[in-house]
Amino acid sequence: MGNDTELRRTGLFPRHQALGAQLAPFAGWEMPLWYRSGAIREHLAVIQAAGLFDTSHMDVFFVEGRGSLDFLNYAFTRDLSRIRPGRAIYGAFLGSNGHTVDDAILYPRLEDRFAVVVNAGMAPVVMAHLRELPGSGQVSLREPEPRYGKLDLQGPAAASILRKILPGAEQLFADLPYFAFRGDFILPGSRIRLEDGTPAILSRTGYTGELGFEIFLSPDRLGAVWDRLLELGKPDGLIPCGLAARDSLRVGALLPLSHQDIGDWPYVNHPWLFALPLRGDGTFSFRKDFCGAAALRPEENPHTLAFAGFDQRRVDPHEAKVLLEGTEIGSILSIVTEMGIGRIGADIVGLASPNRPEGWTPRGLACGFVKVNRPLPAGSRPLLRDARREIEVEIVGSIRPNRTAARRLS
Amino acid sequence: MKELSEIVIPGELRYARDHEWLASAPPHRVGVSDFAQDQLGDITYVELPAAGAVFAAGGEFGSLESIKSVSALYLPVAGKVTAINEALRDDPGLINRDPYGGGWIVEIAPTDPGQAASLMDAEGYRRHLGETA
Repeated sequence: MGNDTELRRTGLFPRHQALGAQLAPFAGWEMPLWYRSGAIREHLAVIQAAGLFDTSHMDVFFVEGRGSLDFLNYAFTRDLSRIRPGRAIYGAFLGSNGHTVDDAILYPRLEDRFAVVVNAGMAPVVMAHLRELPGSGQVSLREPEPRYGKLDLQGPAAASILRKILPGAEQLFADLPYFAFRGDFILPGSRIRLEDGTPAILSRTGYTGELGFEIFLSPDRLGAVWDRLLELGKPDGLIPCGLAARDSLRVGALLPLSHQDIGDWPYVNHPWLFALPLRGDGTFSFRKDFCGAAALRPEENPHTLAFAGFDQRRVDPHEAKVLLEGTEIGSILSIVTEMGIGRIGADIVGLASPNRPEGWTPRGLACGFVKVNRPLPAGSRPLLRDARREIEVEIVGSIRPNRTAARRLS
Repeated sequence: MKELSEIVIPGELRYARDHEWLASAPPHRVGVSDFAQDQLGDITYVELPAAGAVFAAGGEFGSLESIKSVSALYLPVAGKVTAINEALRDDPGLINRDPYGGGWIVEIAPTDPGQAASLMDAEGYRRHLGETA
């Protein structure tokens, strides 16, 4: 276990231990997989109440200087020419071969200043990639020192819990749509202050598909805010949640995991085409030029598709093949058991679905993403086969119904 | 995660290195240990054998699917499955909540009743956990 000594730990590590977390290495960090409640209850809490995640392992870096906007507009897949202040934007950084370097959320700050949130351990990799791009000499790339602490408060009760520690929440929530953020990344100057004066950045994002916030804090305030949220959120059903629930929630919300669902192949033919600057005229053409664009040729590349099974059984994603009428057509990228959904007849029904029968408890459905060598229409029924079993799944356009991420706050 | 000292290991059962337990007195039930359920995390599906199926010692008689992984179940001694725990079909979480009680998996008729003696007792199993943890 010699490697364990090299794993990084967030400021909340002693709290994770005290909360009985099952810990595991993740991208160079020792992070909680689940706490005493277990991953199923954590997953369901985020759908029905709220969960609190330590996401301080995620990387942040800054792009600054005149020309930052043009530079990022070439480096990033989204069209930044029409960004609005106070709005975060999700997209990807691609290599010139069209492969995904990483996905990211961009936070435009003042003019020519951006904060970029990437996956754990990825800031050095993405920054090295950016330094190779034209125009990099005009901009400064740096990681903040110290790192931010970050908490994700996710679930339909997240807003009412946050109100308890956020003075002026009503006014703020009146104009805080999905993917809006408030506060500044130079924390001492941020006008978002928690009840005890802690400066914060509040972003209406998260990776669960449910209503929620990512809260960026100074690392020395992380523990106090974590404790306070868990204490005040308890009556609302708030529990700490680990990476296992985060993974099953994001799959149910049809969100990709970088380096698993998007990665070393061209970023095309997938459910996240909104992250490309498509003209929207029905042709596969872009509104801007960007790094990797020329390699995104739909006809020459595999297709990434979401699937949902008919019960909770999974197969081993590393060995399983995707079969269609006896022919092997691809492999599995992600497969989880989404415990908040089940089938009623042919329909996928969730715990938040208005049409769920009274007293109905879902048993969960296997779901995830496959990468196959041909397009398949929704409703197609390929088989997933490993040494143990073969399961039939359905290609779908959505997995967990009635998600709350974009719900109005007031 | 439970500390080793928190893992429950009943004295009246016998244990295999792969963390299955066997009741050495009839009915000879088989399940997985508290350590195993804690490591696996929430169980989402239990693949059960058919009643009447016969397995050699160490034979794979089913699998446990948890939120984290799919793990094979190995029969600690040779035997014939005489009953399966049907309650696990609706409530696989019984294995997490009550691994030695309501979370039993199968009942067997051992081919050689003496074979149970080759398994670890509670003290030996706790030592085994200490060595592997």
